[in-house]
Amino acid sequence: MSALTTGVKRFNRENWKAYFLLFPSLLIFAFFMFWPFIYTIYLSFFDWNMISPTKEFVGLQNYIDILTDPKSYNIFGNTFIYIAILLVLNCVVPYVFAFVIDMVLKRFKGFYKGALFMPAFISLVVGSILFTWILNPVSGPVAIILGWFGLEMPIWSKMDGWVIFVLSLITSWKVFGYNFIVLYASINGISRELIEAARLDQVPLWRIFFQIVLPMSSATGIYVFIITIVQGLQYVFTPIKVITQGGPNYASSNAIYHAYHEAFVLYRTGHSAALSILTMVIFLVLLFIEIKFVERGIYYEN
Amino acid sequence: MKEIRFENVWKSYGKTEVVKGLNFTIKEGERLILLGPSGCGKSTTLRMIAGLEEITSGELYMNDRVVNDVPSGKRDVAMVFQNYALYPHMNVVDNITYGLRVQKVPRSETRNRLDAALKMLKLEGYENRLPKDLSGGQRQRVALARAVVKKSNYFLLDEPLSNLDAQLRVSARKELVKIHELYRQTIVYVTHDQIEAMTVGDRIALMNEGKLQMLDTPENVYHRPANIFTAKFIGSPPTNVVEVTYLDGKIMFGNQSFQLSPMWVKQVEQSKTSKVAFGIRPEHLEINKTANKNTLKGTVKYVENQGNSYGVYVDLQGDEVIALSESKYWSQGETVYLKPFMNHIHLFNCETTNSIGYPAELDQEETTLERVLIHE
Amino acid sequence: MKINRFVSIPWHLIFIATIFILIFPIIFAVGSSFKSLQDAYNNVLNIIPIQPTLENYQIFFNSLPAIQITVNTFIIAAVVTIFKVITSFLAAYAFVYFQFRGKTVLYFLLISTIFIPFTVTMIPNYLIISKIGLTDSIWGVILPQLADALGIFLMRQSMKTIPMSLIEVAQLDNLSHVQIMRDIVLPLIKPAVTSTGIWFFISSWNEYVWPVLILKTTDNFTLPLALQMYISSEGGTNFTVAMAVSVITMIIPLALYLAFQRYIVGTFTSSGIK
Repeated sequence: MSALTTGVKRFNRENWKAYFLLFPSLLIFAFFMFWPFIYTIYLSFFDWNMISPTKEFVGLQNYIDILTDPKSYNIFGNTFIYIAILLVLNCVVPYVFAFVIDMVLKRFKGFYKGALFMPAFISLVVGSILFTWILNPVSGPVAIILGWFGLEMPIWSKMDGWVIFVLSLITSWKVFGYNFIVLYASINGISRELIEAARLDQVPLWRIFFQIVLPMSSATGIYVFIITIVQGLQYVFTPIKVITQGGPNYASSNAIYHAYHEAFVLYRTGHSAALSILTMVIFLVLLFIEIKFVERGIYYEN
Repeated sequence: MKEIRFENVWKSYGKTEVVKGLNFTIKEGERLILLGPSGCGKSTTLRMIAGLEEITSGELYMNDRVVNDVPSGKRDVAMVFQNYALYPHMNVVDNITYGLRVQKVPRSETRNRLDAALKMLKLEGYENRLPKDLSGGQRQRVALARAVVKKSNYFLLDEPLSNLDAQLRVSARKELVKIHELYRQTIVYVTHDQIEAMTVGDRIALMNEGKLQMLDTPENVYHRPANIFTAKFIGSPPTNVVEVTYLDGKIMFGNQSFQLSPMWVKQVEQSKTSKVAFGIRPEHLEINKTANKNTLKGTVKYVENQGNSYGVYVDLQGDEVIALSESKYWSQGETVYLKPFMNHIHLFNCETTNSIGYPAELDQEETTLERVLIHE
Repeated sequence: MKINRFVSIPWHLIFIATIFILIFPIIFAVGSSFKSLQDAYNNVLNIIPIQPTLENYQIFFNSLPAIQITVNTFIIAAVVTIFKVITSFLAAYAFVYFQFRGKTVLYFLLISTIFIPFTVTMIPNYLIISKIGLTDSIWGVILPQLADALGIFLMRQSMKTIPMSLIEVAQLDNLSHVQIMRDIVLPLIKPAVTSTGIWFFISSWNEYVWPVLILKTTDNFTLPLALQMYISSEGGTNFTVAMAVSVITMIIPLALYLAFQRYIVGTFTSSGIK
């Protein structure tokens, strides 16, 4: 550990070279990440429509507007429903899958890994369009097959609840593979001796999962948990934009989509900025939880 | 002079001090072994010579020049790492010659050095193999070859043999000495293995907790340990060291006494110590079933088979000592009598843990000069 | 380790079903893209077209500057990839092999941007791009995409797996940093660099949110934007054309994935998240 960083102590006197190497990245980040970040905080205190030459300072009014608008609660509620569904589909399911493929099964592992990861490489716009058709409530293949059994497909794009579920499903199609592979890597890194010892003691599989695998891959688990929420919500943006535009009547909108909607449809940059900042604060709380858990290292992965 | 000199060299990582004030000189062309338990600072010391670790304070001289701020690449140093550090993506030839090519050594010269190294280290026929297709011993020889072709004046080795099995280690040791006799570089060799230290070293620098304990020839390190740590670290089973009291030419083990010979009496009297630690190697402690003049009485606690002899653990009124015996007929609880060989005892000052010195008369004794094999 | 068949067979069935659900849309798209609209409506469950036709592809190529759009998508993805691979490699090298003031803080600062939702930077980035006159241009799409810390993270992870002693040997040979990068670090982490590059390429190829804001004229469009044009709100009548464009959009990412699958799965499973 120490050798790794101290071994190159002589580079100490070559500090400037490190900054030189970092310069391109830092320049880009300064322009397109850090400055925009600060400017968004600034904008959240102003009323502006992106076109008018003047911005009106309104203090915390944008935040108050958001927190008093019943629609916001609707949207935050949706956001949490999205989060809940995404967590099940993209965190819990891949966790179990990764465990089973790595430790329970012996055959077709390579094929399963390869096939499950594949959709991660396809555009979500493509995914949205494909699923719009496959799940078309009248003429899609799923509706036809359900029809054989006398079942009727709900007109999901027009129904509260259903719409969120289907959009989450489409997003999961894309996100699932990446999370699965990352979790697989972590579980694969757990010492085989440990698992075999448990096997010899006749420990049932579900116990191995909960009492050995889960704690020993917890750092990655928490990372995937966070990434599912943070990036999952952003990925959902695409099917929302492509399929429903947040409708019907904001029933499928979430905090990310709504911030976009406020900015580029309603031209209320202040509301959009304030909403983004609020969303980020929620994310930061999650990040803080991650750091607290991971850095405390209840079970440190190696 | 291609010597290496430490002047009050300290190394610390934050608040942890790893090397605490080293002062010694490594002579030009010698094979110096840095020996010590893990964590004693020996590797750090080597890496400071290589320029891979910064020196916290003090001066390091190489070739009569302070090199604290000289980067590794300009120190004329070749190094062999414990894990060999071969480039996995380069074949044997490229691994050996890569450094030379970067240094712009002429092509023909590179070729000559490469051929000589391949021949000397029996690597002919393996030129195009990747490290992963070589055995442990071959990898070790490639690492050695890569260091040799640099023709550096300083040759540093960090536990170079510890990843080899016992048999390979013996032949690799010989190879190393052979190389040194050919090139006469200044070798600094880190190991925790005392056999390696004894067989390879011209001199041994024994370190513990960041401090130099003793720097001398293998013979003296073994036979004339400068302090209790050295006595106990070198040799296996370790030297017995028992705290005793000195009184009128005798040393007292509890209520038993042991008469010292006149030369030792003189030595103790001169050093003016009364709290003395008595040291004796297990092979210098004769064990008998019957009492004799000037013997110590004890009870057998345990007998251990050591292959060519038996280690008998004896309780000496609360202190445990080990004696080596060729006989295995010792039973637990049996009363035995121990007789230390007077010429082979060591006496230390209990407070300083340093040796009180050795009587001049001993230097005339031939026995101490013979090279003693120690048991692994 | 003996696994009970009663345990493994149901799991195999579950995986095969899941994979079917994941892969079916792709097959469905390919099949439908070669069907006439009539055929597509009447024989939904016949994946293989009865009378294969290239009509849908022709419609796409005739109604939009399809080649230009594909080239745009490719150029954007290629520039983004090359730039990000290089800057991430250099930054990761600095973080692994240098000690410098502010290293930990800087690394944390960069990595934490992975957790910033894009809406936070969206408006100012739009304003910057407008201000420097890059709206409706390829560069306007490229620039903000470059601020991505994932590559720094992945490459740092894989550089950390290189034993430090290899770098130290190089230092003893008085190698410059350029030589160390070129001759040692780069060859050793080539699989990670390749798969990170492929991941960048594909992410950029599939990028939708940002181009949708920046690009206005069809000549400047990328494939996901072109695709979007065929979705009228209710699915519409261009369904089979949309499938054809979907196939064109998917084909390069899938080809790359299939060609480099071992590399990619390897990188993601070995560098992991630590």
